[in-house]
Parts: sequence; C-alpha cells; structure tokens
Amino acid sequence: MSRVSAAVRLLILLAVVGVVLYPLFWMTGSSLKSPSEISNNLSFWPHEFTWSNYKEGWSSLDVVFGRFFLNSALIAGATVVANCVSCLVAAYAFARLKFRGRGVFFAIMIGTLLLPHHVLIIPQYLLFNAFGWINTPLPLVVPKLLATEAFFVFLMVQFMRGIPRDLDEAAKIDGASPYRIFWHVMLPLARPALVTTAIFSFIWTWNDFLTQLIYLNDLSHYTVPVALRLFIDSSGQSSVGPMFAMSLLSLLPVFLFFLAFQRMLVDGINTTGLKG
Amino acid sequence: MPNTAPLAPGGSPLDHVTASRRTLLRGLGAAALLGSAGVSLAACGDDKPSADPNAPVELSIFWWGGDARAKSTDAALALYTKAHPNVTFKKTWQANAGYYDKLATLTAGGNAPDIFQIDDGALSEYAERHQTLDLSAYKDSKKIDVSKFPPSLVQYGVVDGAFAGVPTGENTPGMIYDETAITALGLAVPTTGMSWEDLITWAEQVTTKSGGKLYGTMDPSADYKALWIWLRQQGKQLYDGKKLGCTADDVAKWFDLWKGARDRKAAPPADIIHTANAGDVTKQLVVTGKAATSFLWANQVTELAKATKNKLGVVAYPGDPSAQWARAAMYLSIYKGTKHADTAADVINFLVNSPDVGKLWGTDRGLSANTDVRAAVVPGLSDANAKASSDFETQLASKFGTAPAVPPKGHVKVRSLLITYAENVQYAKATSAAAADQFVNEANAAIAG
Amino acid sequence: MPPSLAEAVHPAEAPAVTRAPRRRPTTARRGEGLAGYVFLSPWLLGFLGITAIPMLFSLVLSFTDYELLDSWSDVKFVGFANYHKMFTADPHYWHSVGVTVRYALIAVPLKLAAALGVALLLRRDRRGNGTFRSLFYLPSLLGGSVALSLVWLAMFSRDGAFNAFLRLFGIEGKPWANDPDWALATLILLAVWQFGAPMVIFLAGLKQIPNEYYEAASVDGASRWRKFWHITMPMLSPVLFFNLVLEVIHGFQGFTGAFVLSGGTGGPVDSTLMYTLNLYLAGFTDFKMAYASAMAWVFLAVLGVLTAAIFSTGRFWVHYADGEEN
Repeated sequence: MSRVSAAVRLLILLAVVGVVLYPLFWMTGSSLKSPSEISNNLSFWPHEFTWSNYKEGWSSLDVVFGRFFLNSALIAGATVVANCVSCLVAAYAFARLKFRGRGVFFAIMIGTLLLPHHVLIIPQYLLFNAFGWINTPLPLVVPKLLATEAFFVFLMVQFMRGIPRDLDEAAKIDGASPYRIFWHVMLPLARPALVTTAIFSFIWTWNDFLTQLIYLNDLSHYTVPVALRLFIDSSGQSSVGPMFAMSLLSLLPVFLFFLAFQRMLVDGINTTGLKG
Repeated sequence: MPNTAPLAPGGSPLDHVTASRRTLLRGLGAAALLGSAGVSLAACGDDKPSADPNAPVELSIFWWGGDARAKSTDAALALYTKAHPNVTFKKTWQANAGYYDKLATLTAGGNAPDIFQIDDGALSEYAERHQTLDLSAYKDSKKIDVSKFPPSLVQYGVVDGAFAGVPTGENTPGMIYDETAITALGLAVPTTGMSWEDLITWAEQVTTKSGGKLYGTMDPSADYKALWIWLRQQGKQLYDGKKLGCTADDVAKWFDLWKGARDRKAAPPADIIHTANAGDVTKQLVVTGKAATSFLWANQVTELAKATKNKLGVVAYPGDPSAQWARAAMYLSIYKGTKHADTAADVINFLVNSPDVGKLWGTDRGLSANTDVRAAVVPGLSDANAKASSDFETQLASKFGTAPAVPPKGHVKVRSLLITYAENVQYAKATSAAAADQFVNEANAAIAG
Repeated sequence: MPPSLAEAVHPAEAPAVTRAPRRRPTTARRGEGLAGYVFLSPWLLGFLGITAIPMLFSLVLSFTDYELLDSWSDVKFVGFANYHKMFTADPHYWHSVGVTVRYALIAVPLKLAAALGVALLLRRDRRGNGTFRSLFYLPSLLGGSVALSLVWLAMFSRDGAFNAFLRLFGIEGKPWANDPDWALATLILLAVWQFGAPMVIFLAGLKQIPNEYYEAASVDGASRWRKFWHITMPMLSPVLFFNLVLEVIHGFQGFTGAFVLSGGTGGPVDSTLMYTLNLYLAGFTDFKMAYASAMAWVFLAVLGVLTAAIFSTGRFWVHYADGEEN
C-alpha cells in the first residue's frame, strides 16, 4: 500500500473514531461540570471545570468505589474462567464428537437463547432459593460453570467447525482418544474463540445489572453496575456528575482488559496452529 | 449483541416437544414443591409468645434512596440497636431503579425483608395480595402509636380495612417555580390559590416576555397528581373503589385545557414536555431552563435546587387548595411472613415517633408524620429550601380536604397509561376525546383486573 | 451457489489428508459416543438442573392466572386465556410486535455491516490497529448504563449535538429522541453504534483464516476482490452465520437500549415499546406474570421458527472446514 493511501486510510479511521467516540467525549466533559450546570448546559465544554464529581463519586458512599471494582472484578474473573472451561468442553462435544441425540441437544441449546429472560427471574429465584443459594454469590457463578451461556457454546462450536479436520483426523489415526485430541489439538487451536469468550464474559458481567441487583444484598458486596445506579434516585437525590465520573472510571478496567486480550486475538493461530 | 448475556435460557423451539416427558414432569414437580415452599414460608407468622424478649434478633430492612438517606437510616437503626442490643439489622438499600423488581422477586420467593419501604403506588398491590402484615392490632394497642399523626394520613395507609403501611411522613404536590428567571422578566411569581386559567394566562406572559426562550409552565396533563387534584376541584375523584371516579369527558376536558395552553405557547411543545414526564428530578424543566414552573412533590425542591443556580420557590398546584390532602410520602410495611413481627413493629414505632430519628431524617422521608416530631424538627432545618418546603406544607395543611382512599392496585399502570395518552394528545397523534376514551377504558380494565 | 471451499482454495493448498476411504472401528465410535456425553455433561447438568426447570415453570405459568405476588396456592389454570387475550384483546401487543420487527429489520443488517466493515479494515497487524480496535470497541463497553442513556438523549434532543452539527449545513433538525416518529431511529442508531461485539467475533474469525490461502491465491494472481469472495467470505462464513443468528435473536430481544432510553416506558407514545419491554412491563409493573410468560413463549416459538429457517439456509452458504454437512 502506498504512503498516500496509508495516510488517507488513517485520516478516515481517525474521522470515524472521532464521530464514534464523540458521545464519550461529551460524557467526559459532563463529568467535569458542576451540579448546577449538568442539567442545563448541553454543550460539551463545562463553563467551569471541577474535579469534585470524581472525589464525591469515589468516596461519598459508605464503601469506597474501589470496593465495587474489586467485587466486579472477582465475579467477572470467575465468570471468565467458568465460561471458558465449561463452554469449550460442551462445544467440543457438539462440534467434533458423534453421539446419539447430538442434533436434538444442539437445537435445545440454541433454543435456550430465545426465551426472554424476564419471565425466568422469578422461577430462577425460586430454584436458587430451594438450593439455599440466596445471599451467596453462587447464583452468579455456578450457572456459568455448567455452560448455561449458550451464546459462548454456539460461538465456540462455530469456531471449531472452522478448523480443518486434518489434524484431529491424523491424531485419531495415530490412536489418540477424544480426550487427548481435545487437550492437544483443539485447546491450542481454539484460542481465538477462548479469547473472544473471555472478553465478552468479562465485559458483560461487568455491565450486568439485574441479576447482580437481585442476588446481592449488602452494600459492601455490590458490584459496579449496581453501585452506579445508587447515584441516581430519580425521584430524590440524584448525583448525575458523580455517576458520569464513576461510569467513565469503570470503563478503564474493561478497556484495559480488552486492550490486553485483543492483542492475544490478533497474534492469532496462523503460526501456532496449522504448522504446529 | 446483548449488553448482559442472557440471564438464562429457555427451551428449544424445535424440540421442546421431544424434551422428554420425564423432564417436563420433573419440572412440574419442582414447581409445585417450590410453590408450596413459598406458601409455607409466607404462612409462618408472629413471634412465638414464649420467645425470650432478649434473644438476639436480626431484622432485614430494605429501602430505596440516595446515599444521604442511607446514612441517616443507618444512624437511626444504630440508635435502636443501642437501646435494644439484642436487635440488629441486615440493611439493603438501592436507588429506586429496579427496587420493585427486586422486592417483588424476593416476595414471590417467600424471602421478603421483614421491614420494607413502599409508596402509595405499590402499597395496594402488596396489601391486596396479602403480602403485608395487617398492623391494626399494633395500632390499637399503641405498639405502633399513631395518635399524633393527622388522622387522614393514617387513613391513607389503610387498604381493605387493614393497616398495611405506616406513613413515615407527609408530602404534598407542589408547583415549583424559578423565582430568579420570573423576576428578571419583571413578572410576579405564582401564588397558591390561583386558578388553572390564571396560571396559563400568566405563563403565556412569561413566554412572550422571554421572547420564547422560557416557556411559562410545564404542561402537567400527564401528571396523575395534577389530574387528581383538578378532578377533586370539579367534585370528582381519580378513583372510586375499583374503577375510575371520572368519565372520559372529564379527562378530555383536562387534555383540552392543556392543549389550549400549548396552542397559546404558555406551555412548551411535546418533545420538551416529554423529557420531564418521566419525573426524574434532574430533567425537570424548571432546572433544565425550559420552563418557569414544574409540577412535583413539594419536598423535591431541595434536590431541584442543587441542579440550578437560580432561586426556586414552591406554591400549591393551582385551583382551590382544599382539593389537596395529607398524603404519605412513603410507608414502612412489615412482610406477612416475618418471624419477628413484634420486634419489627417496635422498630417502626421507634422510627416514626422518635424525635431523635426525626432530627436525623429531617424531611428526607417527608415531613414527619408525628406532628410533635414535626414541630421539633422543622425549626432546626438548616437547608433553606427544605425549610421553605416544610413551611409551605405546614401552611397548606390547614386547608387540606378529606383524604381519598389509597389508590387501588393497578395504580402504577394507570399512571403510565395517563402519560401515554396525554402524550398522544401532546404530540397530536390523537384528539383529546379519543385519547381520553382509551385512557378511561384501559385504566378501568387495569384497576378491575 | 458460491464456489465451495475446495474450489476456492488453490489445489496445492487443499488438505493433504483425504478423509474418504477410512472406516473407523466400531469400538472407537462407541468410545467417541461416550466421550460425547462426558464432554456434554456440564452442559446437560446445567440444562436439566438450572435452565429447564425455570423454563418449564414459565411455560406452565403461561396457562394460569398467576399475578406476581399472588400466593401460589391461589393459582388457577385458565387454559389458553392468556394467549387468546394477547392476540385478540391487547392493542399494545400488536403495536409492540410492529416496533420490534421494524427495529430488528433495520438494526441487524446495519450493525453486521458496520462490524464486518471495520473488522476488515483492522484485520492486519499494522501498527496502531490494536488501538483502533479498542477505540471502536469502547462504545460497547458502556453497555446499557444510565450514563449512556443520558448522553444519548442529550445528543439527540432538540438542542443536542446532532442538531448543532446539522445546523452547520443549514438543516433544522428534529427532537429525534423525543419525537415519536424518530425515537426508534435513535434506538437503532444506538444498537449500530455498539457494533463492538460482532466486530470482535469477525476479527477472531478473520484471524483463523490461514495466510497460506491468500499467499497461494496471490501466486495465481487473484485480485483482492476475488480473494475476498473466494477465500475470505467462505472461510468466514461459519462466523458470519454465528453473528447473523445471534444478532437476529438479540435484535428481536432488544430490551436494554429501549429500557434505558425510554426510562422503562417504551415512550414517547409507545414508539420504542419493544416486545420484550412490553413483556417486562406486563410482568413486573402490571404484575401479570402469567400473561408475560405467555408472551415469552409465543416469542420463543416465532423466533425459533425464524432461527430454524436461518439454519436451513446455512447449507447454501456456510462452509465448514470440518467438511460436515450443516
């Protein structure tokens, strides 16, 4: 590609990024506005700058906001591991192994994606209540250990089916069991799918409001999305500025997580996989 | 792509028939089992009479609010624990978003907190479905002492003859105006007792004098409080038992009143009204600088004042103020399935009657329901706006009319229907008559159902 | 029918191992069947223990008169009454169906196109691409937060940034987000704006395509366009298929954006009353949980048929490297 066309490409990208990110710039601007300005100044630029939203957001609750980061990170971290392991295992069965009922199970698995989840909140609560899991983090983590996130199972199935069969066929001829093939062939090749799963598991858990709201009761156990909602009691005390400030701050860990993992995504399997 | 990965899953559309009969039966069995568990939990009643009064008790308590309310509630509950060291609290609080979703889920699971905060939109929903404990016996034995409460306020906590919620405080709808902006235009500020027509005429002047930059008044046609007061001024009611206390004609007149105001530019166009209709404090036109007045609860002036540099004032909703009544800002209720009803009742009694709690809470949960506590609290209020709204409520209280019953179940739906159909008229998607007709039909269905 | 993978790939690069003549011994096959269940067991356990029961519970509820908070002992079976009411006596129901279909039909293709386009631009390991990828993903990080809804409403209100931009060209805008005729469009724009997730999946899929294929095609003098249609698209088709299925499902479910932008009302004037939002309101604010469950199962049935239809088209355009039929 020539120098000129590279420059043009960069300019276009920068322009698109600018438009795409404008709402975030606006939010940053607003997080620096004083409370008396935030409702009635719609422009991006504050009339007077103040850092107080960040200070207030961080420490105005009885628990410093960092605690919510920690809680969210713990739950999100556990979810990443649980989803990666359980969904990969299930996906391998669907993508590579032949067994009776596979098609039916696969259709059921896709079907579990289709029911609007709001009608499941109450029955699920009843179920977890019967298990004695209320007031514990179990409802947030155990389902992920059991591959209930069909999204990721399906995702990994699609990736595995994109991997040529030569390698596992060859291993099979050499007498390798499905377990060995899983461990030595599929696991290394499934890296893009695993990284993608890790990224989404982390980010969606980081943003999930309703489940965490229902199963967490103690302020010191609250996670970031639940805590962010504490700033806006729409009928009463509303601290919009601190909410903007903490929303932006809470983007930082997920952004860094993404930045780190997307690197692994693009390092890719081209070199490690097919020749290995 | 979802922002939250699906909570959990359903069944296959393709295969739910084949999803083995045994699974289905097992599911049904579990459902029945869980169901009966819910019932038996809900059925276990009061403290055992033989229970040791000093045995350790942990009460769960759940409320919505901001962090200021959290701090003052923590402090109040600490006072109780200090006096009764055997009683401790498991406190859960959050903002109002999602509060009723969570409360309903816990209640359906037989796990509701012993004490919970509730408002007049939800009280009947819970009380009519027998999820709140009837506190009449505690009221009669003065274990929950409401003798210093305005009688109409107590009445406003009674659903189907059961005392379902103890009002924590009193609140009144108030029209909040931007004194700075109005004075700058050389106009007089609105006053309590001015008629709706007066308001609209005055508002038209505001719009004209400001060159269209500031509309005179918010259009409150989607505000059930405004409709209710206006109806009472016409000798009607919003509710009459399990049906509306007004006809489609009445509602159409109400919509027409405001259509006139919009046509005269006294009120802003529909999209601006819409931003405020959801009721969020920070989006009210009086603080976003779009209109000179907003229709809210009087005590919200404190929070509104934080969002603007201008000086705000509060007067009654227009028309004869005797159409107003003492309303409960919110209640504390006890879950029917609590194991510690006596203790919970004693805690509520302490929270609503202790002058110390009154000082801690100020007007955060409304003007104290106990008038003695109120008299002790109001002079000590430091915030000028809180003081102004308290003074306003106290003055208005002398003019209050008789209280209607608590809104029936379905009230929340009626509130949102009113917004939908008022907006239909505001956006000129329907005539006043057609919208009013649909509103009345659907509202009646919602209350009856 | 597009050329198959075997045709697309230069013959020299075709799989060295041919699969056809081999026959596995039956013991190995049995071992594989057992292994299938072993690997599937966490999912099976999760499905039977955690997923299926609540699901069936909601199905059973849909045939009852259960209202949220009713005591379970009062629940009565009412047959198909909820389903009947939905189709014949609920004007908001059909309205919400219309809103949802319009939303999905527009948002899904736009979002997929944006995701694929940006992924193709950023697929190579050029310097700075990692940063760009991350920046394009940023909007999706915001999820359905309150902060996001406030920003979006401010951008697309009467005095918002978008109208200020239009004014540069002398165009007088609308109060987009607060206009019943345009609110759905702003909601769609929000969905498209958050194209990060399918973009990442496309990127991961693109990275899975062996470079050797492109190199071989270059040796043959294939044009970029030809490479795109004959290598990229077939090789990417499993991932494209995944994104299509999931975006269709999530397009129809689209709850979060509508919920936060309209403050949970579906307004103005029901213009953003998505199916799932209507269902949520029926269950949690009107307490008609049985009715909401019936709505959910109708939704599942219709979306199931649609998903099955998409799956059945797969055999014409999705190419799996595992050589199996779809």
